[in-house]
Amino acid sequence: MKIQYLPHTADIRMKVEASTLQELFIAGTRGMNTILKKGFCNQFDESKKKARIEIQSSDYTCLLIDFLSEVLSFSYVDKSIYCKVCILKFSKYKIIAEVLGNPIDYFEEEIKAVTYHEADVQKRNDNQWETCIIFDI
Amino acid sequence: MNKVEKRHINKLEEYLWEIPTSYKSNMRVPARVLASEVLLDDIIEDRSLDQLVNVATLPGIKVASLVMPDVHEGYGFPIGGVAATSYPDGAISPGGIGYDINCGVRLLTSELKIHQIKGKVEELIKEMYAQIPSGMGKGGQIVLSVKEIDEVLIKGAEWAIDHGYGIKEDLAYIESNGKLASAKPDLVSEMAKKRGANQLGTLGSGNHFVEVDYVEEIYDTEIAKAFGLFEGQVVIMIHTGSRGLGHQVATDYIRLMMTAMTKYEIKVPDKELACVPFNSEEGQNYFKAMCAAANYAWCNREIISWEARSVWKKIFGLEVGPSLLYDVAHNIAKIETYMIDGEEQKVIVHRKGATRAFGPGFEELPKNYRKVGQPVIIPGSMGTCSYVLVGTSRSYDVTFGSCCHGAGRRLSRRAAKRQVNAPVLKKQLREKGIFIEAGSFKGIAEEAPITYKDVNLVVDTVSDSGIAKKVAKLRPIAVVKG
Repeated sequence: MKIQYLPHTADIRMKVEASTLQELFIAGTRGMNTILKKGFCNQFDESKKKARIEIQSSDYTCLLIDFLSEVLSFSYVDKSIYCKVCILKFSKYKIIAEVLGNPIDYFEEEIKAVTYHEADVQKRNDNQWETCIIFDI
Repeated sequence: MNKVEKRHINKLEEYLWEIPTSYKSNMRVPARVLASEVLLDDIIEDRSLDQLVNVATLPGIKVASLVMPDVHEGYGFPIGGVAATSYPDGAISPGGIGYDINCGVRLLTSELKIHQIKGKVEELIKEMYAQIPSGMGKGGQIVLSVKEIDEVLIKGAEWAIDHGYGIKEDLAYIESNGKLASAKPDLVSEMAKKRGANQLGTLGSGNHFVEVDYVEEIYDTEIAKAFGLFEGQVVIMIHTGSRGLGHQVATDYIRLMMTAMTKYEIKVPDKELACVPFNSEEGQNYFKAMCAAANYAWCNREIISWEARSVWKKIFGLEVGPSLLYDVAHNIAKIETYMIDGEEQKVIVHRKGATRAFGPGFEELPKNYRKVGQPVIIPGSMGTCSYVLVGTSRSYDVTFGSCCHGAGRRLSRRAAKRQVNAPVLKKQLREKGIFIEAGSFKGIAEEAPITYKDVNLVVDTVSDSGIAKKVAKLRPIAVVKG
């Protein structure tokens, strides 16, 4: 998986690539967590916090954005970063996952929202999945 | 990807430019830019105008999609945009209001002059930094129960006053008197309420701030007098919004509208423009939830004012704190009436990074402002200057009663971090007489003056175009950066 941060006038533009669609969800979460606090997820062997996420959307692009939005909301409410994504069920435009993480004292960046702008989940000719994601900060 | 170029833009009059509907087949109205030619050349560089063209495709949009001279690229709608849609069946689009619902600015005016506080500025700003929670996802002193949060969502700034965190006299000096009556807390999700439970009285991060300024120059003595402004006067500016609660309301409803659009056979060129008819169930639900989030923001700014006033009174040993000059929203949708095609029409005005700028005679204004017009507060950046303007009747004709909301960003946060040495900048600003308190050097770099357009150019544009008039120039002396 590959995560890149690209220029944007006011917000954060992130490009994620992965070898499977499910891995793209994990890459997106990882990229988002790096914005919230770089290196945080490398500090722990065990997870103290857990949340269950169940999302259904109209397409895979919306599913990914809605999923990340939900992870972000739990991060703020629980004051935690959810580093691990265990996908329990993944079907057409639906995901059930358990996310695991740890409490955090402060976030390095406050992401206001994960936006749909420029997001477009695509499978490339080389069978890699990719999308761009803009975070409103 | 096609991009708007200067050859696609016609000059309608000095400071007003238009991209005609012939530019793209799905445009329902032209797209207009209020800017000087120098600023226009800058605006063309990013994707702001392509986003403005997309806004011109919204169902029910009236006259034109508009951007102010401080415009910059956003996501879906450009920041600095105004779009009015027909009432009651035109589109309402949460993206046209933004994630930070009722992000806005207020200005408090003191009785003290700059020479009277010299020597105490550093102590003042350090104490403000200590007392006003700022930074990423930080909570405040007030923790609300579910019942209390519902009361905040209904009462807005009034809640703060009822609970001893505000001043009754402030209400007349807040847009919509600090409360939108259509608010319905039941339409705000549990997640949103949880996020908002401990964030009242907090600044947040990004471009949010509390700034102490002094009045450097008065341009219009009569209006300045009506606003209670005088040369050398120390004032406090507060910029923040509805925090996590508002972000969650926008997230929830953009998601909902994404699905609901199909039902109304609406197609938009960018998902962030997701919209439904205002009078649909989804449209009404969003509007009422947005009003609730807007009320939370007004309550938040009232409580931050209380925190700032408490510090002020403590440091200077005074009984009374600074008065509220005005509080105005930047990100909001309002039902307003304009002359369109020769008749009075109600419209849903979306303002995303734009300030309401109503002229003289507007009933909602307190009596002492009614003759001169609504105050418009334009923050610059932490090292330059800010302005107080007044709305004019021309803004009704040209920009749906709207004006710019700031200097407008020109450099990405990433570029700022690359180009700005924050410790050096902090020292340089200190040498210029500006104290900065921030949670991190990263935050200082991201909000450095070079990351913004020249606020003087932006303000001169709105002033020369006649949609607002310059009243006073403010010079910063201390900043708490969120």
